[in-house]
Amino acid sequence: MSRRVGIVGAAVTPFKAKWYEKTYYELAQMATAGALKDAGMSVKDCDAVFYAIYNDIFERTCIPEHPLQGILGMQDKFGMRVSTGGATGAYTLSAAHAYLAAGRFKTAIVCGVEKATDCFDFMSMSATPEVIKVIGWSGDSFFEQKIGWTAADSYAEVVLAYMDEHPDDLKPEITAQISALLSQHVKTNPFAQRQHDQVTPEEVMNSRIVVYPFKELEICVYTEGAAVLILAEEETALAISKNTGTPVVWITGVGEANEHSFAGKNHKVMPRIMSDHLAAYRAYEMAGIKDPLEAIDIVELHDAFVHQLEITMAEMGFCPLGRGDSLIEDGIITPGGKILCNPCGGLIYSGHAVGASNIMSAWSGRNELIARGLRRALVHGTGSTIAQYGAVEILEHD
Amino acid sequence: MSPETRKMIIPLEALPEVGGHIQTIDGQDYLVLNDAMFTFYQRSQGEFSAFFLALRDKKKLLGCKCTKCGIVRVPPFLTRCPDCDFAPTETVEMGDVGRMLCTPPITYFANSLFQGQVPFGRGRLVLDGADTALSINIYTTKGILVPGIVKKDTEMKVVFRDERNGEITDIFCVPASELTPEQVAKPGLLESELDWEAAVEPALGAPTADDEAKFNAGLAELSALAEEMKGAERARRDIAGWHRVVQVKSAGGFLVLEIDDGDLRVRQGSTDKPDFTLVCTDISTLVNGMAYRGSLTQAIITKDLWISLNREFTTIFKLERMARSLARTKKV
Repeated sequence: MSRRVGIVGAAVTPFKAKWYEKTYYELAQMATAGALKDAGMSVKDCDAVFYAIYNDIFERTCIPEHPLQGILGMQDKFGMRVSTGGATGAYTLSAAHAYLAAGRFKTAIVCGVEKATDCFDFMSMSATPEVIKVIGWSGDSFFEQKIGWTAADSYAEVVLAYMDEHPDDLKPEITAQISALLSQHVKTNPFAQRQHDQVTPEEVMNSRIVVYPFKELEICVYTEGAAVLILAEEETALAISKNTGTPVVWITGVGEANEHSFAGKNHKVMPRIMSDHLAAYRAYEMAGIKDPLEAIDIVELHDAFVHQLEITMAEMGFCPLGRGDSLIEDGIITPGGKILCNPCGGLIYSGHAVGASNIMSAWSGRNELIARGLRRALVHGTGSTIAQYGAVEILEHD
Repeated sequence: MSPETRKMIIPLEALPEVGGHIQTIDGQDYLVLNDAMFTFYQRSQGEFSAFFLALRDKKKLLGCKCTKCGIVRVPPFLTRCPDCDFAPTETVEMGDVGRMLCTPPITYFANSLFQGQVPFGRGRLVLDGADTALSINIYTTKGILVPGIVKKDTEMKVVFRDERNGEITDIFCVPASELTPEQVAKPGLLESELDWEAAVEPALGAPTADDEAKFNAGLAELSALAEEMKGAERARRDIAGWHRVVQVKSAGGFLVLEIDDGDLRVRQGSTDKPDFTLVCTDISTLVNGMAYRGSLTQAIITKDLWISLNREFTTIFKLERMARSLARTKKV
């Protein structure tokens, strides 16, 4: 029988547009030291480390985790990296959970780090076009990279296909309101890249189109930073909790799914994000959740794009498909609504330090459950072309 | 082949010089080095060779058909059908007309390799007789690609580049409705056979008193904005390292915007050698974008603002980012 696994410590570095002051070596160490301090543990007490690092080119190193093993004090112990696009953090958490639940280890470090904006485009004299280019190397190298594939345009394909099916949903005034709402949430996240960037729906509406239909203020921003969780199996977790006085937040559900990367009959269904749907419902089944809208209090959703946030919320059962706008119109995620969505500000306002992002979301979900005395949070990651990958965890506070 | 005529995998202008700079934060110096991570390939196209050779040499599109379930995949991205326990597929020749699987996105802000090509579409075309969609670039022959021209189910014709290299870039597609029936029916239609609408600078009529009043007000606001820029570090960073002279023409008068490594200068009049030209009937279109009350990109999409060179979208984005930074500075 598998063991219960819980989060007993967590920390993040500040998420910044550019960390001139640190390499990813020290960012990873900063967050790890912080998480261990939170758990009242020494690194000597950790059995294994799971690295969440998305893109070798960002770190300018293949197997970029290898220097971290010693830098984190984990030499001679188990270390493994996971890389699954935008869903890297959520998938890494899932992998660590599996190892602990299987009894391989009692404790583990889950370390997400990314340093994206060292990339620089010397033609436009700015970082972003080069960052997007590096992500562009993640597209299909035979059929898509050379015709301008980007993460944004591939997600826009899914969103536009959804809008083909549901032309009255994802209204610009609603996506603008959601972005403005997230910009209010981020006020209380001192580690966020855009903590003080509060915007109005009108500003969102007026912001420039980057890739149709996405506007600048509806897209996550690339960020540098690290986020770390300390996991422990039940007996160890309870002992740590007794020591720190901080309750364990258990991982009670885990689910993942990767769709086809080509579209058409028997392949990717373009108007859907089945990866999110399948991942969520697999996690619900494991956690014994029948009605997610009633059972879940907090959703820390990987909001690569506001439009995708709405579709993902529908795919995960918080509103009907075709009624994503009801998140605002029916008050589901507005203040006082049934779901507290992205209290950290999401990746649009906290920033998207890819490998670290979903782990930052779990950090926030765990902290919010404890601080607000709520019961369940959902953590989500999405990634790869046309929203191909999805991973979901259910966090639960006794 | 001489260095001047060789086509390089990496454009020379993209290459940084050896060197770097010091970034000082809170009195501490940090070394920032110019660097690159480069790898060159002689990369086999393996089982896709027949597909790419057919594009290059025969101007034909190939697919693959499962010998068991009959599904036709284009491009032929596999040789055995995983849905039929890896039954073999057979190569089939496809036509070059199809319909969009869904409404395609349009990229206005591209990655560094594609900044000279914006705006462009990339969508999924289901060729007649195919079951899966081919990812392909989408263009219009009628000016700038804007939303609404190509949608789900729009009939599209695949067009072949005159110069082909055996790559997916050898083809693109345009709406069949923009072509003659003969062009739609012709196999292997070439890009040089299309009637591309030339970019023509819009004519501006004689100025009215209202136009002139708007221009004067706009010029004053832009001048004030340029003055504010002097103390706006965040906004200055957005146009740092950038140099452009932009001729702006409106019904009420002409002005020149000079972007000079963090500085923004505005003056009334004309310049002999602009890097590019912007034309708008109402100068407010430009002013609203620069003052973060609207979007310059959106104005170009709606044809309220005309730009002489699409590749200068890079400058438009810099100006829009600068406008937002300036607005944020004022908020604080």
